[in-house]
Amino acid sequence: MKLSQLVFRSMRKNIKQYYLYFFALIFSVTLFFSFITLQFNDAVHQATIKSGTATAGFEVASYMLYFIVLFFVLYANHLFMKRRSKEIGLYQLIGMRKGLIVRLIAYENILLFAGAVAVGIGIGYLTSRLFAMILLQVIAFDGIVVGMSFSLEALGSTVFVFAILLFIVLLQQAFFIRKVSLLSLFTAAKQGDERVKRMSWWKMLVGFLGIVFIAYGYYASTKLFEIDENNNLFLDMFIILATTIGGTFLVFRFSVSFLMNLIRLKKGGHLNTVDVVAITPIMHRMKSNAKSLTLITILTAVSLAITTLSYIAYYSVEDAVKTKVPADYILMDEKGESFLQLLDENNIAYEKMDFPFTEAMVQMERLLKHRESEGYTFFKNEISLSVISQTAYNQLRPEVQLREKESIVTGYSGYVSALVPLEANGTIDVSIGEYSDELKVVDIHETTVLGSGPFINGQPMLVVTDDLYELLERANSNKEWPFWTKQTSVNLLDKDDLKQAEALYTQSGAHEFQIAEDSEDTFTKPSQEMERNDYLRAMGVTIFTTGFLGLAFLLATGSILYFKQMSEADEETEAYNTLRKIGFSEQELMRGIYMKQLFNFGVPLLIGLLHSYFAVKSGWFLFGTELVTPLIVTMGLYILMYFVFGVLSISYYKKVIRESF
Amino acid sequence: MAILRARKIKKVYGKRNLAQEVLKGIDLEVDKGEFVGIMGPSGSGKTTLLNVLCSIDQVTEGMVEINGSKLQGMKEKELANFRRDQLGFIFQDYNLLDTLTVKENILLPFSIRKMPRAVVEARFREIISILNIEDIVHKYPNEISGGQKQRTSAARALVAEPSLIFADEPTGALDSKSAVALLTNLAQINEQKQATIMMVTHDAVAASFCSRVLFLKDGALYTELYRGDRTRNEFFQQILATQSVLGGDGHEA
Repeated sequence: MKLSQLVFRSMRKNIKQYYLYFFALIFSVTLFFSFITLQFNDAVHQATIKSGTATAGFEVASYMLYFIVLFFVLYANHLFMKRRSKEIGLYQLIGMRKGLIVRLIAYENILLFAGAVAVGIGIGYLTSRLFAMILLQVIAFDGIVVGMSFSLEALGSTVFVFAILLFIVLLQQAFFIRKVSLLSLFTAAKQGDERVKRMSWWKMLVGFLGIVFIAYGYYASTKLFEIDENNNLFLDMFIILATTIGGTFLVFRFSVSFLMNLIRLKKGGHLNTVDVVAITPIMHRMKSNAKSLTLITILTAVSLAITTLSYIAYYSVEDAVKTKVPADYILMDEKGESFLQLLDENNIAYEKMDFPFTEAMVQMERLLKHRESEGYTFFKNEISLSVISQTAYNQLRPEVQLREKESIVTGYSGYVSALVPLEANGTIDVSIGEYSDELKVVDIHETTVLGSGPFINGQPMLVVTDDLYELLERANSNKEWPFWTKQTSVNLLDKDDLKQAEALYTQSGAHEFQIAEDSEDTFTKPSQEMERNDYLRAMGVTIFTTGFLGLAFLLATGSILYFKQMSEADEETEAYNTLRKIGFSEQELMRGIYMKQLFNFGVPLLIGLLHSYFAVKSGWFLFGTELVTPLIVTMGLYILMYFVFGVLSISYYKKVIRESF
Repeated sequence: MAILRARKIKKVYGKRNLAQEVLKGIDLEVDKGEFVGIMGPSGSGKTTLLNVLCSIDQVTEGMVEINGSKLQGMKEKELANFRRDQLGFIFQDYNLLDTLTVKENILLPFSIRKMPRAVVEARFREIISILNIEDIVHKYPNEISGGQKQRTSAARALVAEPSLIFADEPTGALDSKSAVALLTNLAQINEQKQATIMMVTHDAVAASFCSRVLFLKDGALYTELYRGDRTRNEFFQQILATQSVLGGDGHEA
């Protein structure tokens, strides 16, 4: 028989084993190809070209994708080789040289890769269209019908990447075949399995330590952004990462066996079905599974945290936009008159609010919640803040009534307010020109009144009594360019007019501002809608790429867990056969299997969820303003996907148990 | 009193032209307390017979009745319950679960039936003392010898005191000394506890421990020998003689 015949024959006979590996390959090619296609797609390119971060984001994401695909394919190959160790041993036993076996396996892999790349590119071509539509949807980009053409660049780069991957896989296999002895090939399937010995006291201690490590990491993460004297953010982050990752490994390696062993010892040999089918095999395999479970858990946690954070950012776009541009249109002094005229001419209904404002130098150290710490130099110096009168402020917050020498700090929100909390029970020093006094701060609000820039000091700002405002305005009257004194916030009454109003806004020239008094250069003061589109474009690409990577991670880790369960089920066929002979019914065995799957998928998921929860909780406010909904949505999706993999795995076990007898 | 009754059982593998009749209508009765051996050359249908008698495999025709219950027509779940409550199994390759200790393996049958822990513990103590495996109960299967594994397997089959114990080549993988030790134990339990045992073997020495030996040839019952009052050695000689008449693998013993 020629080698080629042998290759084809062995592939035909092993179709069931190949199917899993082949599926993993196709899946990787599909993900990769559709992502690269997106990158080279015209519509996507046009939609994202305005955002520099988007292009960079795509680049970073494609490198991440290399990593996921590499990790996934190498792992699948590893499982595949383990399953075939007997076959390889047999070839050697009948006198085939190792070099020939390596060539045999190499031919097979080249065929498999070629097939997978062809099929994967076919599927990827179809899915890339779907992904492109999703992307344009999240960045709220309409107007372009997605015309997907087959991208030769994407084809080239996919073929190139998978050719390299094939090369690495071949090296891995050649190494595997050359290194191992005949005997170890026959027992490779059993390698790494450990008989659980009586637990020694130090193992119990280490198991306990794992839990302590994780608990400490969680505790430290809640303190991460509390600024104090001996704060070293990077060291703290490193410690948190080290304790949680190390703790996770120890938990899988020792704590799980430790807890299960306690249960088992208590039974004194009298096990029930669940103990027999779930607990003892899990304990048995914990040594070989600890590393991969740790890796899967950490990957789950990381991708979940990243997805959640970017979703938080995307979800909070509205809040972020409103902080920067608090009304549909922000007009300065008389510069907006032409725009308002245009609105009137076109019968567009709107409401407007005038906010005269001025400036004062303020020292607000005594408001700091953590006054003793050494940071916050910003708040310890005199800073220039915008000031408005109570009357103006009452347009937004009618309930506010200030007495003499009282004031309110407002517009203090976002991550700055979370990092540097202020308390409304102190006094501030206010001065401008001749005026200098101490005011009592009665409240701290988040309400944004003035948009940021141009020539407006951003947040926070000060609200004072009308009398004091007049005083400050007079003291501040030596005008210098540019010195704006009034902001007009315009809100459309009917949002259907928005499109027309946007056009009028640019037409009126109310958006153009000179950069300096003697300069011809201008910059644009965006309307709320313009700002929103900018944000959506940047955040949309971020949420899309992180979501895509999150999905890739999720599918890769879920598939690996599923593959692992498939090979475990195969290895345990004999035990199921024995149990059924003894009189265990299918249903009784399945009850144990449910528990086993609950553990196999549930525990990495649960620990991953906890990790990402604490990671997100420690710093979410840096990314946006809403935690609960994005967190629940992403976690819900993850749980759902893991559930699907769990169900797949259960149905495989069902098949194995049915056929074991 | 007959504990097992089989009527005209036939087993056919394959379909139509490829069909092969492995059992060609066997009638059989086993009384309570009997130790029955099944012998015959390779391919005579010994193991198939045992499998259809113990409900692991289905007959093509005929019926099997154990302790008054007919196996044919029982649903999968009823069969599982039936095996649990009535039958014990000992196999050539032990079929122990690697992940369980010897004690846990032996107590497996109790995982699926409700019985007071004290009763279970008492039965367990008794059986391990008869089989002489007290010292290894906390070890794992990979830490003990083949003979010990097989005695563990036997203990598991016997501990629930089933109506009928099936053994398929229980000594097949053992050296002669371990084999004799195990068979002595089985014979002892058969006598003391009136346990009914059916054992497939191709080993004349093993068969000589039985009270009756059936010989199969080409899927039909060829003859049967009763030990009666003879010594084990005399019975052994007679078995050898019958085997040589029968041909096949007599020399293997």
